[in-house]
Amino acid sequence: MTRNSKTEISAFARITTRREFGLAVLIALITIVVSFFDPRFLDAINLRDIIVRCAPTAIVACGMMLVIVTAEIDISVGSLMALTAAAMGILLSEHEWNLSLWIGLPATLMLGTAVGLLTGLLVTVGKVPSIIVTLGLLTALRGFTTLIMGGKNIDGLPPSLQHAAKQGFWGIPLGVWVAACVLIMTLVIIAWTPLGRRIFAFGSSRYAATMCGLSEKPLKLFVFAYTGFLTALAAIVDVPRLPTIESGIGLEFELLVVTCVVVGGVSINGGRGTLLGVLLAVLLMTMIRPVLTYLEIGEEAEKWTKAIQGTLIAIAVIGDSLFRRRGRGGPMS
Amino acid sequence: MSQPRMATRFSWWHELVLFCLLIVLFGLAEFLSPGFLTPSKQLYLSRHLWIFAIMALSMTLIIIAGGIDLSVGSAMGLCAVAFGVTFEMTEQLPLAIVACLLTGVLGGLFNGALIARFNLHPLIVTLATYAAFRGMAEGISQGESYSQFGDRFSELSRATFLGIPLPGYLFFVLAVLVGLFLWRTPTGRSIYAIGHSAEAARFSGISVDRIRIGLYTFSGFLAGLATVIYVSRFDTAKADAGRGFELDVITAVVVGGTSIFGGRGTIVGTVLGLLLIHETRQFVGRYWQVDELKSIVVGVLLIVSVLIYQLLVRQRDTRSH
Repeated sequence: MTRNSKTEISAFARITTRREFGLAVLIALITIVVSFFDPRFLDAINLRDIIVRCAPTAIVACGMMLVIVTAEIDISVGSLMALTAAAMGILLSEHEWNLSLWIGLPATLMLGTAVGLLTGLLVTVGKVPSIIVTLGLLTALRGFTTLIMGGKNIDGLPPSLQHAAKQGFWGIPLGVWVAACVLIMTLVIIAWTPLGRRIFAFGSSRYAATMCGLSEKPLKLFVFAYTGFLTALAAIVDVPRLPTIESGIGLEFELLVVTCVVVGGVSINGGRGTLLGVLLAVLLMTMIRPVLTYLEIGEEAEKWTKAIQGTLIAIAVIGDSLFRRRGRGGPMS
Repeated sequence: MSQPRMATRFSWWHELVLFCLLIVLFGLAEFLSPGFLTPSKQLYLSRHLWIFAIMALSMTLIIIAGGIDLSVGSAMGLCAVAFGVTFEMTEQLPLAIVACLLTGVLGGLFNGALIARFNLHPLIVTLATYAAFRGMAEGISQGESYSQFGDRFSELSRATFLGIPLPGYLFFVLAVLVGLFLWRTPTGRSIYAIGHSAEAARFSGISVDRIRIGLYTFSGFLAGLATVIYVSRFDTAKADAGRGFELDVITAVVVGGTSIFGGRGTIVGTVLGLLLIHETRQFVGRYWQVDELKSIVVGVLLIVSVLIYQLLVRQRDTRSH
């Protein structure tokens, strides 16, 4: 659709009204202002820390983006992350089953994929709305996690895994490597495979896509299973950074991920969104807390993190709505 | 909406199923754990119920109208902080209550205005305010908790009349009023029309925007009211009040047979859904003595109730917003 409007709007307007441009400008502005206050913000250590914190959110956001593009939603990722983290802990910890990494990690990934597949089956075959399925799983999986952990924390993960998650290879932690791979993989899926084109086709018009002979079930099964897989992956690369595995891991993680995807310009009604936008939104959302710390407004400021996140979502969607109105009458409407 | 009666066939079957389930649950509970069904035990357990129940009323209306409000739990946090701050400054309980209710109303109005005026998706708007309200509550209170509002105030939620706690009466009155509003008034009926098709409702002369704003404001007001009971019951006002409540409330409404896509649902169903969830939780907690089982059972109940409905009654228009 954007291709059609190329002839009508100037190149400048086309770039500046894009969500990615707005996000990039905002990130640049914030960076400049904060480094003006405290140049230490630009230190390699701090930048590295921000990137490392981005990694799990970026990994899961890739899957969530595809889910939202098909006009569905998955709000169970936070609880699923806790469940996969607990499963990983039980399989690998030296105090528990003490299995080898080559068995434990694939099993964890399979668990995540299986839960994602279950969500997908309930949505496609069971015809239960995805918000209901994942709301139910959000509650149930969290309870299940607490149950299997039996009220105690798990520690004693293999040192090699902990080392990979903290120090990583060539100075870059495992999470960042994995996030980069996942981003490339998702980009390939979106841009160069029929699967990706079909996901977008379905999101922008379910009716038209069905009329063209595309079938919906495999697509939705794929996006939910992919999100489940990525959630398990995020748990594997991020959780070993912590000293122990608690049942509270990933609490409200789903909100962070959905927020990033929406702020990144993916339409909640499906069919529209770019990976770059989502990536920039992940960066912006993750920056907020370190920025508040470096501005040195004091301890008080960090308590406002959530309020700022909420305001950013509101600004993003209101901005969207205003642009949409301006474009009314054009090919977009 | 020239014909207020939507269908001539028997349309209360979802409520009937819920009622039967409730009876089965009661029977099972009494059989497995004698003493569960005595009035005194039930009334004692009911103190867990009222806060959710009150918010479920407005949530029913919102979901019937095709919307959703994820921010009610966070709104409670903000209301609680407003209550605490006002009380600390003025030492006046009535003022604190007014501030609490007013905060709820303003928060709901903000939601409604964004959704209706900018034509935004309710899920996203209330996701934003979900974070924003909680963040404001945390920012303003700085993690501090307010307490000691006096015995007379905490008596408000504990006092009983004819054996039933006062919040129970409040809920019954509200439930009857909201039920009659939804069932008998033109505005109430037009909520169903909006849920079926907002566009069609707008073209048939229903002021969709005004009704939507009204519904979200009402939801904020009830969140404020629930906060007053919450603060009175626990005698503390803290930023984390009502954390996760939105999920329980939505679960009860959906189990009660309200369609998440709008256009279908009743207050009777919601009351039955509330009871079913509440009794299941209490029974599971009492019988197995494992708290985690409660959330598993409730989550599974939510999915299964909708699954059964979808498999039995293949709705042709599940997707028509």
